[in-house]
Amino acid sequence: MKRQPGKFSIRQACWLAAMAGVMLAPVATAAEPAEDEGNLPVTESFSARQFSQQVPQDLPEDAEQVVVGSEFLNLYTGPGRGYVISNVVEYGESLWLLKRRTDWVKVMTRKGKTGWAKISDLDEIFTAEGEQVAVPTPGVDDYREQNLRLGFAYGDFAGANSMGVSLGYRFTQNLSAEVRAAQTIGAYSDSQTYQVAVVHQPFPQWRLSPYFLLGTGINITSPNATIVATEDRQDTAMLTGIGVTTYLSRRFALRAEVANHYLLTSRENNQEIVEWKLGFDVFM
Amino acid sequence: METRVRRIYVKLAGLLLAGSLSSGALAQYDQDIDEIISPDLERREIREAKIDSEDFEFTAYLGGIMSVEDFGSNALYGGSLAYHISEDFFMEAAYGQTTLGESSYERLSGSAPLLTDEERELSMYNLSLAWNFLPGEIFVFDDWALNSNLYLIGGIGNTSFADEEHFTYNVGAGVRVLAQDWLALRLDVRDHIFEHEIFGEPLTTNNLSAQLGISIYF
Repeated sequence: MKRQPGKFSIRQACWLAAMAGVMLAPVATAAEPAEDEGNLPVTESFSARQFSQQVPQDLPEDAEQVVVGSEFLNLYTGPGRGYVISNVVEYGESLWLLKRRTDWVKVMTRKGKTGWAKISDLDEIFTAEGEQVAVPTPGVDDYREQNLRLGFAYGDFAGANSMGVSLGYRFTQNLSAEVRAAQTIGAYSDSQTYQVAVVHQPFPQWRLSPYFLLGTGINITSPNATIVATEDRQDTAMLTGIGVTTYLSRRFALRAEVANHYLLTSRENNQEIVEWKLGFDVFM
Repeated sequence: METRVRRIYVKLAGLLLAGSLSSGALAQYDQDIDEIISPDLERREIREAKIDSEDFEFTAYLGGIMSVEDFGSNALYGGSLAYHISEDFFMEAAYGQTTLGESSYERLSGSAPLLTDEERELSMYNLSLAWNFLPGEIFVFDDWALNSNLYLIGGIGNTSFADEEHFTYNVGAGVRVLAQDWLALRLDVRDHIFEHEIFGEPLTTNNLSAQLGISIYF
């Protein structure tokens, strides 16, 4: 008699069921106590109670104590991914937060050892009272929030090279204010510009986000003495501009801009200068 | 008279009692409704850690030398302020000043000097971005393992001398050795590239500087 493929005999089915039963049974029993432990907050867990008395000797006064709620936490010898992991802190152990550098936090363990923990690994830490603690990091993912940004830029100021620095503060998700200073060095004249501007970003959540710029300031122009003997001029400037910004990482944004400087001169004609800029912004 | 006062008291007490009873019933009702409709979720309060950040680095040059093309090498004084963006990148604003020596032409020709003493004072500043491309550890004898960084740096700036401003590009590399978390020793070598017209026609020059600095993180 030929067997039909795809059909189980009764004996096969029984055997499968028995195997499944054997395999599932320990899983079910193992899951139960873990669930119980999970219901208990980490600050009241067995290990937290056991270690809670231990405080390192040379602890700085302002260090904040937290309890580790993840299974373990690696501590590195330096604030960088390549450094050696010199210590591991376990679930329920206490830690003292000392300071932050970039995306790393220096901590002290209950035995007084220090090391650096990655901020992304510190997502499960609690105070002794059980309140969850987060280490603040500046970045673009809080683009809805107010923040400060610092930028460097290179520009082409009507043929002359310019270098600029800007400090911006975002009030709402669309509006920010900026203070800018730039030094321009050209073949015939050098100038310094100082401006305040309002920047409107209609779509801050876009990957490539456009912005509009409106500002005012002063331009101090000093013609090169070797060409013509003239005095330095100081003019009020009106600034309009349009640009685009894109985030390369959480804290870092590239930015390109074209701006029109309208100089209100004391001469017969006002002067218009178009400036192209390429720079970057860092969120602080 | 007395009975009337007492009656008022009784009425007042009755009113209060009725009020408290009805509010009690209301509370009971609210609780029932809550049990039915509120989701079984605990709201987690997350507090921000009160922690100090140390992302800025101030460097003072302990010693430096700058060679300005055709004008000899002289001591460089200055410092820089850096902001560490991540473990990989930092941005830096630096300032330095030096004095120009005599050019070979001035020495050989014996004619009047090209520049006055005041024009020989050189000052420069620049804005740069650096990449810590070789982070690691440096071992000194048996006892010391110091965290270190080798970085590549480049940027733009301004060099001012001979009554002129010169737009300057800079590129370089440096090594930073951390003695403590907050204290580092830096050796930095930079090429400052700018164009000047002191000799009559435009000339692009490469001007090398090397500076040893001590830096403090704050």
